[in-house]
Amino acid sequence: MTGLIILFAFFAVIIVAFAAVIQKRLPDAIILFMGVGLGTVVLFFVMQAPDVAMTEAVIGAGISSLIFLMALKHFKEPV
Amino acid sequence: MNFKRDISTRTYSGFALSALLVLTILNVMLQNIPAHIERAGDQLLALNAQEGVANAVTSVVVYFRGFDTLGEIAVLFIAALGIGLMLSEHTKDPHHEESSFILQKASKLLFPIIMLFGVYVMIYGHLSPGGGFQGGVIIASGVLLLLISDQNFEVPHAVISALETFAGISYVLIGLIGLLVMDKFLGNFLPHDVSEMGMLLSGGIIPLVYIVVGVKVGSEMSLIVQNLLKRSEDV
Repeated sequence: MTGLIILFAFFAVIIVAFAAVIQKRLPDAIILFMGVGLGTVVLFFVMQAPDVAMTEAVIGAGISSLIFLMALKHFKEPV
Repeated sequence: MNFKRDISTRTYSGFALSALLVLTILNVMLQNIPAHIERAGDQLLALNAQEGVANAVTSVVVYFRGFDTLGEIAVLFIAALGIGLMLSEHTKDPHHEESSFILQKASKLLFPIIMLFGVYVMIYGHLSPGGGFQGGVIIASGVLLLLISDQNFEVPHAVISALETFAGISYVLIGLIGLLVMDKFLGNFLPHDVSEMGMLLSGGIIPLVYIVVGVKVGSEMSLIVQNLLKRSEDV
């Protein structure tokens, strides 16, 4: 069961990361990047590293996406 | 959706190669698991019992690698300093718009709960997953909620700098007292009996260190978030 969850999260992370790379609109790419963070949270948690999962949830999915969004706001023309 | 027009064959071959790599790694991972290793931290857990800290990761991060935490705090401080130097002059936005009703009310409802959870993660760092760094960033995200819901809210600068200075000084002081008493930076000079493992007041100086680290990280991240948010409003 654990192996199934790990496999599922693994492939979900890879697919979402590919989608983030080929995404044309930058805000969508940032939201997909948050999805990558969420998938890794599941991976870390299932692989018995809850401390790392908590850090990844707060930093990887939260604060870093916020910093990307703030940087995106500085762009003059809409993307 | 027609991707073919925009994406070159190089991208496709890159995808295929990385998929192949991933499949190979998965194959190796799933087949060659040694039978005798159930969990990576078994030896660590045996070592951990000497310190009387229930959470093994905490005893590694704070106790065996406490000096690295000092470096991490210094790095975060320098990052906050740089962002403050570049982005701190924000002017009042003349045509700012009010946040929506739902955001205002929901942030008032959620802010105390987020703060409580951050303090819980910080204080219980030696018993359960979490710790000073995570708790501090959770508190900073609560401050972020206040910042985006109320346009006129500003983090009080004097309070933040006082908290940050106090936390930084007391971290170094705790480490130096450990150096004096136990001949080791961040030596555990407070009583830490193994029989009390799992209690809230256990683990010697580790809860103290985590509270100090949490206060420092929380105040620095709040300042970073405020500088980024306010700056992006007036452009």
